[in-house]
Amino acid sequence: MPALRRSDWYDLARDLNWNLSYVTEDEAFPEVMSNNYGITPNEKWWGWDEPYKVSYREYVHNQHGKDASVYSVNSVIARSRMFEELDPGWKSAIVAHYGAIAVPEYLAGLGESRMGRFGRAAAWRNMALFGTLDETRHGQIQTYFPYTLLDKEPRMDWAHKALHTNEWGAIAARHLFDDMFTANDAVSTAIQLTFTFETGFTNLQFLGMAADAMEVGDLDFGALISSIQTDESRHAQQGEPTVKILVENGYADVAQRLVDHMFWRSWHVFALLTGLSMDYYTPLEHRSHSFKEFMQEWIVKQFLDQFRDFGLEPSWYWESHFLPELDWYHHALHLGVWFWRPTVWWNPDAGVSPAEREWLEEKYPGWNDTFGVYWDTIGDNLRRGEETKTLPETFPMVCNMCQIPVVTPAGFRAGKLESPEPQIHIHEGRQYVFCSEPCKWVFQLNPARFAGHTSVVDRFLGGEIQPPTIPGALEWMGLSPEEMGQDATNYAWAFEGFEAPGAAAS
Amino acid sequence: MTTMRRRKARTWSLLGDVKRKPSAYEAVTAKFHYHFRRDPAPWELDPEMALNRWYLDHREGSPFNVDDWEGYRDPAKLTYKDYVTLQHERELYVDGLVDRFEAVDHAASYSDGWTAAFASLVVPLRFPIHVLQMASLYVGQMAPSSFITNAAHFQAADEMRRLQRIAYWTQVVANAKDASIATTEAAREPWESGEAWQPLRETLETMLVAYDWGEAFVALNLGVKPAFDAMTNVALRDLARRNEDEFIALLCEEFDRDAARSRAWTTALVRYALERDPALADVVNGWLETWAPKGIAAVEAMGPLFEQAPEPVAGEELVEVAREAQREIAGAAGVA
Repeated sequence: MPALRRSDWYDLARDLNWNLSYVTEDEAFPEVMSNNYGITPNEKWWGWDEPYKVSYREYVHNQHGKDASVYSVNSVIARSRMFEELDPGWKSAIVAHYGAIAVPEYLAGLGESRMGRFGRAAAWRNMALFGTLDETRHGQIQTYFPYTLLDKEPRMDWAHKALHTNEWGAIAARHLFDDMFTANDAVSTAIQLTFTFETGFTNLQFLGMAADAMEVGDLDFGALISSIQTDESRHAQQGEPTVKILVENGYADVAQRLVDHMFWRSWHVFALLTGLSMDYYTPLEHRSHSFKEFMQEWIVKQFLDQFRDFGLEPSWYWESHFLPELDWYHHALHLGVWFWRPTVWWNPDAGVSPAEREWLEEKYPGWNDTFGVYWDTIGDNLRRGEETKTLPETFPMVCNMCQIPVVTPAGFRAGKLESPEPQIHIHEGRQYVFCSEPCKWVFQLNPARFAGHTSVVDRFLGGEIQPPTIPGALEWMGLSPEEMGQDATNYAWAFEGFEAPGAAAS
Repeated sequence: MTTMRRRKARTWSLLGDVKRKPSAYEAVTAKFHYHFRRDPAPWELDPEMALNRWYLDHREGSPFNVDDWEGYRDPAKLTYKDYVTLQHERELYVDGLVDRFEAVDHAASYSDGWTAAFASLVVPLRFPIHVLQMASLYVGQMAPSSFITNAAHFQAADEMRRLQRIAYWTQVVANAKDASIATTEAAREPWESGEAWQPLRETLETMLVAYDWGEAFVALNLGVKPAFDAMTNVALRDLARRNEDEFIALLCEEFDRDAARSRAWTTALVRYALERDPALADVVNGWLETWAPKGIAAVEAMGPLFEQAPEPVAGEELVEVAREAQREIAGAAGVA
């Protein structure tokens, strides 16, 4: 062990800021890569101080130990029958997770790398270098694990290929993550990726799913996710000092806007990914909390604390849009994802057996009257052997911001929206459809960033998808017939408690 | 319900119907940059938004491009797990080295002359090494294949590695000999104003704004870094030995292991590109005409600092070491 403590020498390795002479600050830190939001000269950023400190030697010693431990769990479990014995709904949750998260985590490394080059203080650039390495780890480990499961579950292929496809969920993931980090400047990335998304949402996804994984008996996934979270909680701390600098220099409004923008976007994709997994896909006996309870405990409380700590305010849509959506949005998405199941790469678990419905009613009073009624009809159709009535013939409208199907009629029916209509907005002669006021607001903040993008539906109507039919669209999305989602339990839920189970369609 | 398929998959479907099962390195590296040459733009936003334009101009639009970058392999074949395992072991070695030299109070044995040379030559190196770290990250984030990105990102981490070991030893020497060297100013002042450092700073600052991904790679890994590494890993090693500082000499040798890995992936990448398009030799050489002399000018100006040491290394010797390093890597890359 070297005799000096890290704190004895660490400042020498991070106080590496200097005044450029041979190129200008604007040349070395162009706005497109590093928006200073008017805080100039660069010296104003030099006080950036990371709350969590680590040296290179500590990093490689620690990470070597962590990787050795997680990969050895994987190698032991690969020789067991653990995966085969997992609940089908849980398998769907992890197949969905890997597809939406594995490669994007790797790409978060590009955002980290951008902060490592274009961050406006050396201490920040150093932290971002560790973040770059961490995200390389997360991308690789979250593709390696499903890779070892390919022979048991061919859908694990989506862990690698989802982002290469035009599957609508992959488009939604790309649109979110490109906005957040791959196509974002360093300063905004620190606030939107690390402060908003990682500090807030990945806690939910990773801690929540790690707890659920252990409950379900998926030791492999549980070990993986917990180990990743220890890295996230370190590199996520790049956001806080960046927000501090904005606030200290009188730009709290910029920080607020960046947070509000990305919090809303993250919420929608998390509702889609985690909301469904927690409230419908995880086996009932292993659910410790509802998604709403998790959101309240981990996200709502945490963000309110953060807002207070930094002199920020809860987002303008907090009371009016966000909190009400906790009661209905993911239930509506679940209904849509299940109905449009051929368009996703995992097998949606309806999760509405009589016992599950009882749980849903308890956690979300009124669920039976608002969402249960749809499932009553679907169940009746299945019991009559009319599976085709439970499958789509058309496409829903898709939001031009979050790229997720518009489900406002369900929110209206649940009494949470004043109208079932989506938000319509005309910009430079083109009509845009938004699922919500905040999605429209994000667009209006910076139309040049979003305006030229086309949603799946825009492409469908524009003739890009040929033939313009459901099968044509499924092929365009990259879904082979074997890969299209099916009900995870082969409709067993619809027959539970009914005397004469009819012939369940395959 | 498990999806049925006709036969078991050997690997990811995107890697094709392979005869040989890809290695673990390939399985967690191949085709992660789905956004390269994506139509209409890399990122799923307005195709004309600023960062789409940046990647279209500086990556897709770079003259240093081939039909397919996915066939390239880093000779070290490093995954993240391999990298941290390798460097965990190497850092254990350096920990042991530090222990060994701290146990005999090595820094206290520094002569005043060598302490002064250490202060003027080694202490400020933190700044240029930090710039090399920044530049490696840029190459990594712009590279068209993950096989390249990861090698460049690991290279950036290697730069931080040596920077921190120098920072550590600066504090050790400060404690033993001269407290004033362990300050920001003791490094920043010469970096910003010292005559010997200015050509190096000019080279590195201007290299930071070479934004074409191919030029950024060539400027850093074929032009400037080989010369810089020859100065810090070879000439400084010799200088330290002549002045009885075996610790610094061994540290330089250790850092050259990392530099050798950089040279290996660099030459493999250029060779890969030239095999696919021999005309790229002119592109690479065109950039080298700018960056190789800048690398030499940077090193040459540092000569007086090497000559000031009690047992010096001559300026001409220093320049020759740097030139030789550039010649060697250009030869190995097939562009000499």
